[in-house]
Amino acid sequence: MANSAESHVVPLENHFPGAPLESILCTEELHRRPSRPPDYEKEKCALVKLVSALADSPGTIFQTLVETILEVTRSDSAGISLLTRDGKTPDLDGKRFYWPAIAGLWKPYIGGGTPRDFGPCGDVMDRNCSLLFRHLERRYTYFPPPINECLLVPFYVEGKAVGTIWALAHDDRRKFDAEDDRVMASLGKFASSAYQALAHIEELKIQVTERKKAEAEVRELARGLEAKVRRLVEANVVGIVMWNLEGAITGANEAFLRMVQYDREDLASGRVRWADLTPPEWRGRAEQAVADLKATGVFRPFEKEYFRKDGSRVPVLLGGALLEGDGNKSVAFALDLSEQKRAERALRRSEAFLAEGQHLGQIGSFSWRVPTDEITWSVELYRIYKLEIGVPVTLELIRTRVHPEDVSLIEKMKMVDLAREGGHDFEWHYRLLMPDDSIKYLHAVAHATRDQDGQLEYIATVQDVTARRLTEEARDKARSELAHVARVMSLGALAASIAHEINQPLSGIVTNANTCLRMLAADPPNVEGARETARRTMRDGNRATDVITRLRGLYSKKDPLPESMDLNEATREVIALSLSQLQRNQVILRQELADDLPLVTGDRVQLQQVILNLIGNATEAMSAVDDRPRELLIRTERDEDDRVRLTVKDVGVGFAPYAADRLFESFYTTKTDGMGIGLSVSRSIIDAHQGHLWAALNDGPGCTFSFAIPRRAECLAGAQIPASRTDLSAEAA
Amino acid sequence: MGLPDRESGNDRPLLSVVDNDESVRESLPDLLREFGFAARAFSSAEELLRSDYLDQTRCLILDIAMPGMSGPELYQELTRRGYRIPVVFITGQRDETIRARVLEQGAAGFLLKPFTDGALLSVINKALHAT
Repeated sequence: MANSAESHVVPLENHFPGAPLESILCTEELHRRPSRPPDYEKEKCALVKLVSALADSPGTIFQTLVETILEVTRSDSAGISLLTRDGKTPDLDGKRFYWPAIAGLWKPYIGGGTPRDFGPCGDVMDRNCSLLFRHLERRYTYFPPPINECLLVPFYVEGKAVGTIWALAHDDRRKFDAEDDRVMASLGKFASSAYQALAHIEELKIQVTERKKAEAEVRELARGLEAKVRRLVEANVVGIVMWNLEGAITGANEAFLRMVQYDREDLASGRVRWADLTPPEWRGRAEQAVADLKATGVFRPFEKEYFRKDGSRVPVLLGGALLEGDGNKSVAFALDLSEQKRAERALRRSEAFLAEGQHLGQIGSFSWRVPTDEITWSVELYRIYKLEIGVPVTLELIRTRVHPEDVSLIEKMKMVDLAREGGHDFEWHYRLLMPDDSIKYLHAVAHATRDQDGQLEYIATVQDVTARRLTEEARDKARSELAHVARVMSLGALAASIAHEINQPLSGIVTNANTCLRMLAADPPNVEGARETARRTMRDGNRATDVITRLRGLYSKKDPLPESMDLNEATREVIALSLSQLQRNQVILRQELADDLPLVTGDRVQLQQVILNLIGNATEAMSAVDDRPRELLIRTERDEDDRVRLTVKDVGVGFAPYAADRLFESFYTTKTDGMGIGLSVSRSIIDAHQGHLWAALNDGPGCTFSFAIPRRAECLAGAQIPASRTDLSAEAA
Repeated sequence: MGLPDRESGNDRPLLSVVDNDESVRESLPDLLREFGFAARAFSSAEELLRSDYLDQTRCLILDIAMPGMSGPELYQELTRRGYRIPVVFITGQRDETIRARVLEQGAAGFLLKPFTDGALLSVINKALHAT
């Protein structure tokens, strides 16, 4: 049967035992038969040839081996059987044998094999020795006859049998002997070597393949990486520079060149060295970076400065690594920090301005994160509270400084709780009681915001308004004192003119009385004349009484009460009191008092002071006038806003246009004597009456002072003209 | 000259009173007449200057403070015009410097209101006899 190789791989379940094993073995014959003499020479040649073949073409060593066996044993067929699993490759766990190489008659059966547990090779492995078979086809019927004798010799790798080499004699011309056995054993040793060599070669091949694959991958990776790095370098998002540890710069991208303002020429020429770029004070740091580089292969990013080509400096962030290779080359990135530095400087400057501004304005600021009660204060606020800067701020700490009265007020009004819940902007005036018992007035304005987590946070400014408050209080006090003094002084002036006014009726009385006596003493008595003088006396007596009554009214100490009053009447009184002064100054008075003038609500005495002031000023202004009559016009009228207006117009020296506003400033005066209240107090009085006092230059010479106050109205019923001791200003609210 | 009424006569010297105060013009001439003088009253210096009685006036009683021309100014004007009429100044102002000033200027007398009839008479007599 000339079966193909596959047909000799017998399915294990199909084999059936033939003759018993003992019947086909004749191994003892090997040593009984006469043996031919050993041909060591031939053996040596064969082995040498085999070893060369192993070196030269290991892939065909088995074939070479079986050819050698064929020749040396002068057999008809020779082959090698290896344990296998898949029938193609050696495998010590195999359950079959396969024939990778066969020489001689059976050469066509290369690739075939026998089962491990039912075949001659199996028997050899079982017995662990060479076996000589005779007519093994009688047992192993799957072998094609004829097989006369078959000599099988096992070979080992690391003590384990891996296969057999065998020689077949198909007829009885050839009978194997001990020499065959010996030489086969020797060749078997070679087979072991070959087997191992081949196994190594296979392993090597695998390793090489894998190595090649890994290398290919790395190359691919490197190519990809290189492309990416190149992309980065060329994108010029950051400066990249190549340099060596001797300090020469070997390459750079555009971004780097731009940063330092060198061009490629400069680099290529080798003119630019690492050291040239580094300012002296940065050398130390740069050297440390190089040391790190040598030690660890990298230097971590750090800030330094470069010199540009023109000598200016650029702040940079620098980091880099050693390149593989000789450890001499490095690549570094340089990030231009100019913008950042500028922003930092601007921020620091604005912080300084803010701090300075806070200090100048005595304004502190704070933030209060309501959920956590986290409170942050600015430096100025610590100063205002006179607490150590940086001390953690709590509500308790703040309470130690706030004035006890304000603390209890806050608690009574539950202001803190309201603020916690509210989330509305609020404003608050409060006081601090300092350790030295002095008081500070503070004004806080708080703005409610939500921070990035949605939590309620108040951002507030607090201004120390103590100075302003004290100034206001002092000013108010001074004003009221001034008004008081002015009142007294004006009373003095009034009193002088009143005294003068009393004098007139008094001298009349005296003269008339004297005349009366003389008339009655005449002979005959002039009774008619006496009666007339008596009449005049009574009249003048009444006049004097009126003046005294007026005087009493002015001296009265009661606090000013707003009363419903007639401005015309008040004006007439003032005029009466001023007549002598006017006469003395040769002032010609004209009155135009409106008939239907509405009543006003006000303090009679204060308003009369104002009128007196205006009359006095007008008189003064005309004191140097000689070329025209010194006419003084006093007029009252109803204003277009339904206010009551009083006007005093003179033909005096007037005032400079730029001085219009300054006239009403305290202490601004062109008067030579300081009697009477000034325009500043007059204005305060009119302001307190919800009115307005102003001055205007006339078309002709002189000027006109006017004030207008609201007429008495129901809505003013609750209005309070403040007492002269307190704030006279209308903006007290 | 030669007015038939009581206001003038050869034996009654004419005194002219210049004062813008009505009560003075009312009461003073009566008193002067009780003294035996003739008296006329004028409300302003200008009125006196315009009047025909200026030449007849033997003595002037002038208020110091008057609108328009004051008493001293009137005196100066009269001096300038060559009149040599004695002047007695009356005033309600209590200012000592005025007294000194007018007396220095040649006033014949100075009285503070109110004045007694005796004081007035004495001053007038002095003034009249000084000339």
